[in-house]
Formats: sequence, C-alpha cells, structure tokens
Amino acid sequence: MTGDVLSTPNMAVSIGGGIVLKNPVMTASGTFGYGEEFSSHIDLSRLGGIVVKGLSLRPRAGNRPPRIMETSAGMLNAIGLENVGVEAFIAEKMKFLRTLGTAIVANIFGDTPKEYGSVAERLNDVEGVTALEVNISCPNVKTGGVDLGADPVMAGKVTRIVRKATDLPIIVKLTPNVTDIGVVARSVEEAGADALSLINTLKGMSVDIESRRPHLGNITGGLSGPAVKPVALRMVWEAVRAVSIPVIGIGGIMNHEDALEFLITGASAVQVGTANFINPAATIDIIEGMERWLENRGIADVNQIVGTLDLS
Amino acid sequence: MKEGGQIEMGIVRSNDEVAPDHRILAIELPPSFGDGQPGQFVMLRPGECRDPFLPRPFSIYTMDRDGESVHLYLLYRVVGKGTVLMASLRRGDTVMLLGPLGRGFDPPGEAEKAVLVAGGVGVAPLVCYAERARKTGSGRALEITAYVGARTEGILVGLDRLEALCDVLKVATDDGSRGYNGTVTELFRRDLDKFRPPGSVVKACGPKGMTDALRDIVEREGLYCQVSLEERMACGIGVCLGCAVRVKGDDAEPAYLRVCKDGPVFDMGVIYRDDR
Repeated sequence: MTGDVLSTPNMAVSIGGGIVLKNPVMTASGTFGYGEEFSSHIDLSRLGGIVVKGLSLRPRAGNRPPRIMETSAGMLNAIGLENVGVEAFIAEKMKFLRTLGTAIVANIFGDTPKEYGSVAERLNDVEGVTALEVNISCPNVKTGGVDLGADPVMAGKVTRIVRKATDLPIIVKLTPNVTDIGVVARSVEEAGADALSLINTLKGMSVDIESRRPHLGNITGGLSGPAVKPVALRMVWEAVRAVSIPVIGIGGIMNHEDALEFLITGASAVQVGTANFINPAATIDIIEGMERWLENRGIADVNQIVGTLDLS
Repeated sequence: MKEGGQIEMGIVRSNDEVAPDHRILAIELPPSFGDGQPGQFVMLRPGECRDPFLPRPFSIYTMDRDGESVHLYLLYRVVGKGTVLMASLRRGDTVMLLGPLGRGFDPPGEAEKAVLVAGGVGVAPLVCYAERARKTGSGRALEITAYVGARTEGILVGLDRLEALCDVLKVATDDGSRGYNGTVTELFRRDLDKFRPPGSVVKACGPKGMTDALRDIVEREGLYCQVSLEERMACGIGVCLGCAVRVKGDDAEPAYLRVCKDGPVFDMGVIYRDDR
C-alpha cells in the first residue's frame, strides 16, 4: 500500500478563511439540490464540497414556467431561486449534510442587503455549516440579485453586512454581467470576503418563432453549460489578477480537462454545475480524472498546477 | 428500487417505425436496472453528444426482464433535435439511461373499472398501466376501457397492445378518418353514464388541450383521475427545479411541484388550471 500512497497526488486545497477542501471539486449552487438527491448516484463524502441551493429568509415559490430551455451546448434557466427557506434547511436538510464529512457551503441571498445579513446570522451557529456563499448575482429575480452584484458599491455593502453578521468564512459569488469584473472583485475583497466564486450565469434569451413568445416564462434567463466556459475562464483570469484572496472557478465544467483549465488559470478550486444534470456522477468522474491526469504526469500535489498559466 | 434511479448504459436492440414519425426504441439493460412502474420515466441520452445538450424524458411503454437482462421499450414521436437523433439509432448502438424515475400511476386497488384516456404518444404509459394491471391480482378482473385519440388514423399508435389488454377500446380522430370524428375527451364524455365514482378511476396522458378538457369532465362528475404530465426537464431527479407545474394553493402566492420528482403522474385535482 505504501506505493499507492506515494503515487496518489495530494488533492487538498485551501480556499481562504481557513477552509481546506479534500479536493478542488465542489458542486455549484442550484444544480445539486441539498445533496441528498444525489446520494443514490455517488459517494457524497468524496466531494471537495457541496454548495446547496440558494437559501432565503423565507421559502420562495420561484418563477412561473417554462423555466428552462436548451441552447447550443448549454441551457437557459429562470428558476427564480425557489427554495425551502433557511429555517427548513436547518431543520430538515442539515441533519443529513453534516454526516457527510465534506465541506458544506450554504448559498444565501436576500431581497435587501439587510436580509442577507439576517440569513447569515441565522446560519452562524448551525453545526456543520463550513462557509457561506453569498449570491449577489442571480439574473432571475427582480429584487437583490444581479443589480447588487453589478454595482461595486452595493456588492461591497452586502459583503460588509454579511461579514458583520457571521464568523463563518464568506465566499462571494459574482455575476459575469458586468463590464469590469476586477472592480467588483476588489470591492468585495476590501469588504471582507474570504474568497470569490465566479461566474454565475450569463443573462440570455430565447424565442419561439411560431408563437413569437419567449421560451421562458420570465422572458430572460441565465445561460450555463459548456457554451459559457470560455467567458468564465477569461473572467476568472481577470479576477485572479485583481485580488489576492482565493478564486473558485465556475462555468461550463463538464470534465477534468475543463476543471484543470480553471486551476491553471489561477482558480484554487472549481464548482461543477450544469454537468450534474447531464450525468449525476459528473463530479466524481472529474475528481478521478484529475487524479489520474496528475498521476500520469508525476505531479505530487494539485496545488503545483494552480496559477501556472504560461504567458511567456 | 433506488429513489433517484440509476445510470446505466443500454444497447439498442431495435428502433422500428410504427407510424409516420412514430417509433419504438427497444433497449437492452443489465438486470440490475430497477423495475419501472407504469407512469414512471427514464432520461435518455443518445451517446456522448453535446448537441442536443440535455437528456430527454420518456415514459416507459413496456418493460420486462429475463434472467440476463432487462428489456425496455420507449414509444416516441419524432418532433425535434433530440428525437431526430434518437430515430437514427441502430441495433447495437449504445445509449445512456437514468431511471426509472418519478411517481407513477397508483395500481387499480379496489377499483372495478379503469378508464384510460390517451392522446397521441400519451398512450405509452397507459399501455404500461393496462399491462401491469393484467398481471396483478385485482387487475385481472378490472374492466378496462380505453379511449385513444389522434389527429388522423395513420398516427394512431399502441392500439394493437390495448386491444389485447382492454375490454373496450374506442378511437377518436380529429379528421374522422377512424372511429369517432372529434376529440377523445368528447368520446369519453358520451359514455359517462357507464362510469361512476368511486368504482371507476380515470388514468390519462396527452396534450394540454386534452388534459384541460378532461379536467372539466372529471371534476364535474367527481371521478378520481390521475394524469401524466410532460414538461421540459434538465436533471430528471428533482434538483434543477426546471420542470415546475403550478398546483392549486390557498394563498395568492403560486405554488409549484416538480413534474420529474413529484410527478410525472399527479392527481388531476391538484393541478392549477392555467389558461395561458
């Protein structure tokens, strides 16, 4: 067995705020439910972390259907942050999640900056919550959400409010629907974020030419999947250069090659989202693929490839 | 059976056209694949493609097993990019399947009469229901009446199976090319005096127009009806929340259920009437 131990690369990564993940592969919020839904498909304890569906102070019903539409190499969604609410999450979902031995990240959002603070405060002492991911970037809700995240001042303000409300590490999830991601990233860093995650979905639209109606009940939606990966990678690159806190890469990651591109570009970890819909075992395939890739190249530690983009 | 289904690679055994733009895909699966209940569905991906990007949901038409394998049959209509690709599958090709998924039809239980109301390929889960009912205790004595509708005679599908399984089979076509000239719900409505609650139950699957018309009838008559709904899906296991269907609620705030996980079979009484 000694030989195996020596040849298996170290996969553990730090993502700020003292959080160490057992490997760099997390699930993206809104694509993995509250974890339990995937328990018959994969061993959840093998994940680097689970980011749960976004939580608000009160339950939300979500947008009127249709809520999704397939696109070329991707999909549009306008779910509208349907969720059970923070109280039901604590009472019903955490019991299972805290047994898994993997990082549990509670994604939170509010209709107002104050509400972000209330949700953060409520989760502060909940056993088993590793960190908060603050969603200031959902394109599908009318209040809060994307407008907060597109304004560097508001993004900083929300981050400060959450910072005051909790001792937990804070990851702030950024929207790509901005002109300069660096400005927002720096504002959030200065306000006390421990890490950034990006990108959330790109705002998009699709039309039925026969009925001449939008395909989505919400008219616009968020684009995800392989179609957005080049944009995500570019924005991660820009964010990494703008801040000194860790950046978690998200956007169209379907396999370990995609994940490695983000790590090389400078992401300390990645989140896998839409791929979970296509293949419920996508995260495990990516972890195993990454391990094999490192092994085959004799790389002993995944951290050795983080931020190694060669621009010479 | 695993709650969230299981992922398996299936091998295509046949993919025959049974009517214009209508086919039956026969897939061989390992014996570990769970027993699907009538009304349950599978998510199918025809190989490792990115276009179409998402897997597609299909109701189980028939499923049986011998010692070494499970044989799954899907009745489908070729309507878009996904099903066009599916129609090109040949014997020996592989497909990725996730299933069986969702909540199916309740078994007949104490019912004396089952009424099946089908529109187009909506016949698929109802054939599965009738077949399973005939194999189980009380279902053998069940009187099954099927009403099947289609636009025109050439695209009436599943009739051969229903003929063998049902006591009465009635057909409606929009153009009158076979059977009753009109809608399948109108054909059923004319026979209403034969079906009284609580001994008679209705099982239905078809386009929205059919479902809406049927709702009016069963609500007026107090007949218990279960309906299988269709909606665009991404995951099939209840996490993407994309396949929401509005249900009746007490407050002004709309309430939604997931077609993939809470359905696809619902009690007709819970579904909100959406007149968009």
